[in-house]
Amino acid sequence: MPLVSLQTDAYDNINQTSPYATPIQFYYGGQITDNLFVGLGINNQFGSSSSFDDDWQGRFIIQNIALKTFSYQPTVAYKIHDYVSIGAGFVITTGKFAYEKAVPLTGTSTSEGKASLSGSGITYGFNVGIFSTLLDNDQMKLTVGADYRSGQTINLENGVANFTDIPTSLQGTFPATTSFTGKLNLPSVITAGFAYQYNINENNSITLVYDFNYTGWSSYDTLAFDFENADTPDSKTTKAWVNSPTHRFGIEYALNEMFFFRAGGYYDITPIQDGFVSPELPDATQFVPTFGFGMQIGDHFAFDLSWLHQDVTRTASLDDAGFTANYHRIADVISFSTTIKLFNSESSGAPRVN
Amino acid sequence: MKNYLLILGIVVVASSCRKVEFEEVERTYGDADFSTYIAVGNSLTQGYQDGGLYEEGQENSYPAIIAGQMELVFPDMNNWRQPTIYGNGSGYMHLEYINGEIEVVSAGDVNGFAEDGSWANWGISEQGTKFNNLGIAGITLMQCVALDDNEMIVNNGVLGGFHLVIPPFIDYEVPGNPYARFMDFGDNPSVLLGGGTPIQYLDHIKQSNATFFTCWLGDNDVLGYATSGGVTTEVDGTLLGLGVIELNTLSDPTAFRMKYDSVLTAFSNIGAKGVCATIPDVTVIPYFNTFTVASVKEEKGYTDIWITEGTGTGNTVRVANASDLILLTAVDSLDAGMGESQSHPLTDDYILDAVEVSNVQSRTISFNAAITASAAIFNYPVVDMHGFLETLKPGISFEGIGFSPKYIEGGAFSLDGVHLNPRGYAIAANEFIKTINAAYGCNIPTVSLGSYRGVIFP
Repeated sequence: MPLVSLQTDAYDNINQTSPYATPIQFYYGGQITDNLFVGLGINNQFGSSSSFDDDWQGRFIIQNIALKTFSYQPTVAYKIHDYVSIGAGFVITTGKFAYEKAVPLTGTSTSEGKASLSGSGITYGFNVGIFSTLLDNDQMKLTVGADYRSGQTINLENGVANFTDIPTSLQGTFPATTSFTGKLNLPSVITAGFAYQYNINENNSITLVYDFNYTGWSSYDTLAFDFENADTPDSKTTKAWVNSPTHRFGIEYALNEMFFFRAGGYYDITPIQDGFVSPELPDATQFVPTFGFGMQIGDHFAFDLSWLHQDVTRTASLDDAGFTANYHRIADVISFSTTIKLFNSESSGAPRVN
Repeated sequence: MKNYLLILGIVVVASSCRKVEFEEVERTYGDADFSTYIAVGNSLTQGYQDGGLYEEGQENSYPAIIAGQMELVFPDMNNWRQPTIYGNGSGYMHLEYINGEIEVVSAGDVNGFAEDGSWANWGISEQGTKFNNLGIAGITLMQCVALDDNEMIVNNGVLGGFHLVIPPFIDYEVPGNPYARFMDFGDNPSVLLGGGTPIQYLDHIKQSNATFFTCWLGDNDVLGYATSGGVTTEVDGTLLGLGVIELNTLSDPTAFRMKYDSVLTAFSNIGAKGVCATIPDVTVIPYFNTFTVASVKEEKGYTDIWITEGTGTGNTVRVANASDLILLTAVDSLDAGMGESQSHPLTDDYILDAVEVSNVQSRTISFNAAITASAAIFNYPVVDMHGFLETLKPGISFEGIGFSPKYIEGGAFSLDGVHLNPRGYAIAANEFIKTINAAYGCNIPTVSLGSYRGVIFP
């Protein structure tokens, strides 16, 4: 998780206390016939968690929030032409959601109450993609690809809401336990990009890549919870996120087909508009540099290491809640992955649809 | 299958070499001098809430909150003092949960938070002490710069209070103001009682040594009229040489301007910097909006609500409409079935009728124009409390806490429906702080509203 600090008119510095998280990714690819490929990807595509001290200034907005998803993506790809492959697959996503905030009700022996919500759900989607090799000779190789993954809605059907430290006279409105329903709308994603490889000589090459992502964050328009208990006021938070593009680019130098040096960056335009920036996720438009190193060991084994560094500040408000802060967010993300080829193959790697 | 490819990945996050934390903000008092901060005003300034003045309420008066924050930018501030009050003070209202209902319990009720034993003589022994919070519940701007006996209610009945307690001359109807007892207002000027020299509130301002002030005077120049339903009262003080004292009137705008000038002149002459505040539209507060004509009709099942309109003789009884405001104090009358019929109308003192509402609002506008114009002459900034309360009207959130003018639930007002609760006073303090910062180039931190309580629910 990133490190996030806030500054408000009342406090010089407030730190998020978010725990570290280690998202995983797993990809399995196999070739069935000359033209048919299968794959299975498992990852934590969407997720975020942030925590604050229970008594922090914005506790009536959020104390802790965690969303964790696991996406399972079985994919089939078919080579319809020497230069063109198409792919399609399912996406099965499970999501777990937990949210805690303080309730501004003072009792005779309690200074404020607390609301804790948790729920989980499952959703399905699909992805389709096309991948083409436009040019492939001794000198150079040019590939282009595009894919689309549908939006997904996780229905939190039997969410559990607990209200604690509520004054006696208001326990009918905020009961110790009630259930709630809600929806988490995960966005659709369109990706398109190309890779251009130039072979300096037989063993060394330079590759340029560019990817364009367009994430349909307008799906995250509101976050609403309907409580089963009739007296509990339903909660509706306007998020008003907007669709947002990300541009990624990079360069790789392959040395002796064994060492791979990579550098690049991405420019990420935030989906969160001014006036809607919540302390749980103070996202901001930013340029992020990335670096990577890869190594091929024999025919069966490769590993890759990458590092990206985010460092961004933003002054913004959450108008509905009446909360304004300066945010500073730093994240250093290091990814490590290994690639294992279980059998040798003449074939040039399987096309992948993420 | 001839080709298996497995990719296993893990992402970890390293701690950065760069600090994410914000540096401590360097605090400055700018052009201001907070050595001696004096607050002048009325009940709102004194910290009055829940229908009384008590220890916890006073601790959370907005001047006390501001002073605490000022000290963060001005550590050399002189010891900031409010008159000492103990425990329940004058007694105050609270909520109890009785038979499944939230009930408001007044100080005088069974189980009420009755006045503290020290209250009867509260403040008298401290008259020699210089305080920083000069707020007096009930005081009008007219009384601050009294020009005749009519306006010297405070200076007589209240201040030298005991001078009046001499039978048989005492007229117990002469309103004393116990909330003013911590200040020495001199001796009764009436010939009958010795012809002493009174001390004006204005004199206290002149002798305050203020280097900085907040002035939130004038609310009671409309509030008394409004909370009494536009019914003015005459008290005959002739026996005491006071003439006929009129209570609960709307103050005269010309006199208001002149007296506001006098107050600011006094501060200006001692070289004090400071800030003024406008008067909110009092018809927005819960006191006037808890019972509406529509809500009472629905609750009681009445087709019409009958009210008495006008003042004094020649009152007319008519059907209430949406422009008439029913006062919070009408609760007992409503319970007794008043308002149900033409022969049992709600009495005039429980109704601020449409004409009276308009009187209050237009007079408030005049007073605010006077405050703004007067402050401009002395180059003092003005906190727009009138505008601020308008934003509260439809509901507004700060720090994720919702506020509205709704009685009990609204979050900012205390149980008397007129005055703020500690969290509401913290909101007011923040508004003052923002204006002070903008005008004097300082950066006093605002307070976190969550640190102050709202209404206490049973």
